[in-house]
Amino acid sequence: MATETILMTPAAVQVLAAMLFGIGLTTAVIRRNIFVVLMGVELMLNAVNLSFIGFSRTLAGDASLLGQLAPLFTIAIAAAEACVGLAMVILLVRGKDTIDADAFSAMKE
Amino acid sequence: MFPELNTTLANVYFAGLAISALCCAVGVLASRHPLNAAVLLIGAMLALSGIYALLDAPFMAVVQVLVYAGAVMMLVIFVIMVLNRAREDKLPRFDAWSVATAAAPLALTALLALTMAKLPLAPAAGAVRGEPEPIAARMFAMSGEVGGWWLLFVAVGVTLLVAVVGAVLLAKRNLDTPAEEPVKEEAGHGH
Repeated sequence: MATETILMTPAAVQVLAAMLFGIGLTTAVIRRNIFVVLMGVELMLNAVNLSFIGFSRTLAGDASLLGQLAPLFTIAIAAAEACVGLAMVILLVRGKDTIDADAFSAMKE
Repeated sequence: MFPELNTTLANVYFAGLAISALCCAVGVLASRHPLNAAVLLIGAMLALSGIYALLDAPFMAVVQVLVYAGAVMMLVIFVIMVLNRAREDKLPRFDAWSVATAAAPLALTALLALTMAKLPLAPAAGAVRGEPEPIAARMFAMSGEVGGWWLLFVAVGVTLLVAVVGAVLLAKRNLDTPAEEPVKEEAGHGH
């Protein structure tokens, strides 16, 4: 049992966080549905939290606690962001009657 | 990494949770209806919470389920159902340009993952298990040379309050204005 390789190395956790971040970024960039764009942003925030907690396991003592405190604040701010973001989505949909992100291009013209 | 954990069991849990998190994330990217995407995102968040628990952060695992999978995604699903329109299902998920653009974030991901894989990281022996008691003691530390985060904690609370008030102000149709003009504007939309 002791010679068995351990899958959950800190590097594996960081690679997983990077992949989740990339999928979230791709979702936020290429999807046209604004709800799914918001969800891509949430996925990116989750990946960053995973990275924090993965790194905190590699530090000793006080620093490892700090690595788990930072995601607490991230989660609180992400909740506020989701709240305001969804209110803006409601406002946008009320104005243009569509959830297509391509319709909201007034800044381009 | 975890002397107290059975290695085989930890491997099985980590591999299963990581694969399900990645599959759910890809499902969010590829889903047709936003409700499917929301349910898959909840799946990804639950898998991440399991990984937090494996990483010796049980308090963060609970907060992840309570706040993210519970509160935030409930809000998202609620708004999707309030604004649900059947014809939006026929909206194309991507267009040709944006699929070509996807190469940039994917290349960034590959670079990031390669860099992370090469980092000389090792689990620390003295890492503190993130249970509520040490986390609360650290956040509200009063004694010694290290200070706590009272002010930041209060500021985050005020931010949440401001965000909720702002969201109500944004989403409410007419807070103070007389009812005539907005009703005329909204009449054609069939809400």
